[in-house]
Amino acid sequence: MLKAWRWWWGILLAFSLLAVSRAFLPLPFLNEVVIFSIYTIGCNFLLGRVGFISFGQPAYLAVGAYATAFYLFYFGTNPYIGILLGLMAGVVASLIVGPLFVRLRSDYFALVNLALAVIVFYLMQKVLAGITHGDNGLWFLTNIASTPVLDLSRPNHFFIFAFLVALAVWAFYKYLDDTIYGAACLATKINEDKLKFLGYSNYNVRLLAFVIANTTTALAGAMYAVYLGFVSPEVSSPSRAADPVVVTILGGVGTLYGPIVGAFAYTGMKDVIAKYIGNWELFIGFLLVFIMLAGEKGIWGTLQPRLEKLFFRNKAATAEGEKTSR
Amino acid sequence: MDTQLLTSGIIFGLSIGSIFFLMAIGLSLCFGLMRIISLDQMLYYSIGGYITYSLSLATGSVWLGVLGGLVVSGIAAFAVERLVFRRIYERELTFSMITSFGILIGGIGVIKFFWGVVPRPVPVPIETQIGILGTDVPVYRLVVVGVAILVYVGIWLFLNRTITGKAIRAGIEDVEHVEGLGINVSRLFTITFIIAGSLSGLAGGLHAPLIMVDPTMGLEVLAFVFMVVIIGGLGSIKGTLVSAFIVGQVVSIGSLIYAPLAQMAPFAIMLLILLIKPTGLYGSTLVKK
Repeated sequence: MLKAWRWWWGILLAFSLLAVSRAFLPLPFLNEVVIFSIYTIGCNFLLGRVGFISFGQPAYLAVGAYATAFYLFYFGTNPYIGILLGLMAGVVASLIVGPLFVRLRSDYFALVNLALAVIVFYLMQKVLAGITHGDNGLWFLTNIASTPVLDLSRPNHFFIFAFLVALAVWAFYKYLDDTIYGAACLATKINEDKLKFLGYSNYNVRLLAFVIANTTTALAGAMYAVYLGFVSPEVSSPSRAADPVVVTILGGVGTLYGPIVGAFAYTGMKDVIAKYIGNWELFIGFLLVFIMLAGEKGIWGTLQPRLEKLFFRNKAATAEGEKTSR
Repeated sequence: MDTQLLTSGIIFGLSIGSIFFLMAIGLSLCFGLMRIISLDQMLYYSIGGYITYSLSLATGSVWLGVLGGLVVSGIAAFAVERLVFRRIYERELTFSMITSFGILIGGIGVIKFFWGVVPRPVPVPIETQIGILGTDVPVYRLVVVGVAILVYVGIWLFLNRTITGKAIRAGIEDVEHVEGLGINVSRLFTITFIIAGSLSGLAGGLHAPLIMVDPTMGLEVLAFVFMVVIIGGLGSIKGTLVSAFIVGQVVSIGSLIYAPLAQMAPFAIMLLILLIKPTGLYGSTLVKK
């Protein structure tokens, strides 16, 4: 019992803070933050655990978003089925491109992914304009049927749903970190020869990580689609390719709660800066350079050791447990 | 498809390939010598385009603008190298990629601040057309191709005939040995980076009359330049030239057959080449030491 509590308490604390913030922060902002953090954790996992930097996350976001949008626009009305389809589309898409991509070195991987994002953008904007309606996008807000228990067409119910999904995603990633597979992922980042020597296949470890991360991203895309009730090629725009990478680094690469902190800070800053200056690229770009030069630890990566010191001064045992299951 | 269309398509492909080559050469050199991926080359391309726009508006001469763009982007590259890259040469490859993306995004913000977000037209310096195989071809596009070939010859002579160039080539093979010979590697890096930045600026200046300059023009060519570099192989000048003209032709001829193909076909070719040879056509298996 105590063990289970130790495992869960970090996630529960983080998410209860998020739930409390519901009381004094506007709902659209929180919805944005929750979806954005799900979007980012895939990138965070790839960069922090497997050592793959991906500038192509918008491609998988678009895959999820468009799968959901197609279903809700042309076929059905149930948003849950739409999100499920978006998730499955993510699995299929990453299984198609994954075997080709994960064989590449990290630098080529980033460039190829970026190229994929551009291709998906043009695919949705021009080639498939007949079904995607090009730049006008697909509008299906009125198609979303109200469902029992949690009515996703209402923002406050959607927040509860997104909250639960995020909780599940975080529990899953925390579980991954604890498993042998999580250790194998770290090993393929740090020393692939040694991992091979231990009898694991680098290729399989990377492929699985690629599929997991991009499916999470596609899930975020599907949730964006249902939340906004609108999808346009803009979701996979190459000019937004850096967003997840920026948020990952802002929050702290490879940390579990980095994406939430990063998404919070990034969305907040974007809102504030856009209101006062209107030129937030300038700020984000230089912030990114600054964080990289200052030691690439990010907000959470800097805060975490200090918080642990603060809270666990007398409880060394718990701190030890926390360190291993971070 | 008739010959007239095909001829103009090929000329268009050659000119666009030249632009890609001028930009990709910077990325390739930076990777080969310093082992960094410098995404901010796209920023110097935009700077080149915008300086060309402003100078041609002020003086009436596009050529002066192109020259100004080359110089200003070289200066910008020098500043960025001194302020940022100097500190990160030792770090891993992804590090430089993220940092330079930050510079690119921040630089786009600076451009928006100075010139606004509206696309601006740049006049074509040579309006005349000449007939090749019965087709009227704009002379300016041929001039662009000529400039690219001149740059290739110049770079080749620089790398093979001068001491600095030879040091750069030796550095691509093994930086530590070059340093051991008493050559100032740090200055070598700066020179290479300035060359790369100026060539990107030249590409932007030459490309500006063919398109409109707008703040995100760097992001638009980003994917194509990467395809060129990947197909040619990171770190190889010859591979960059070959793949730039391949990608240029594919974009141009592809758009004649079916318009959306222009964007898709290079990607398909890139995947095919990566499947056969994961390091690109002429790429070596160099890794960061």
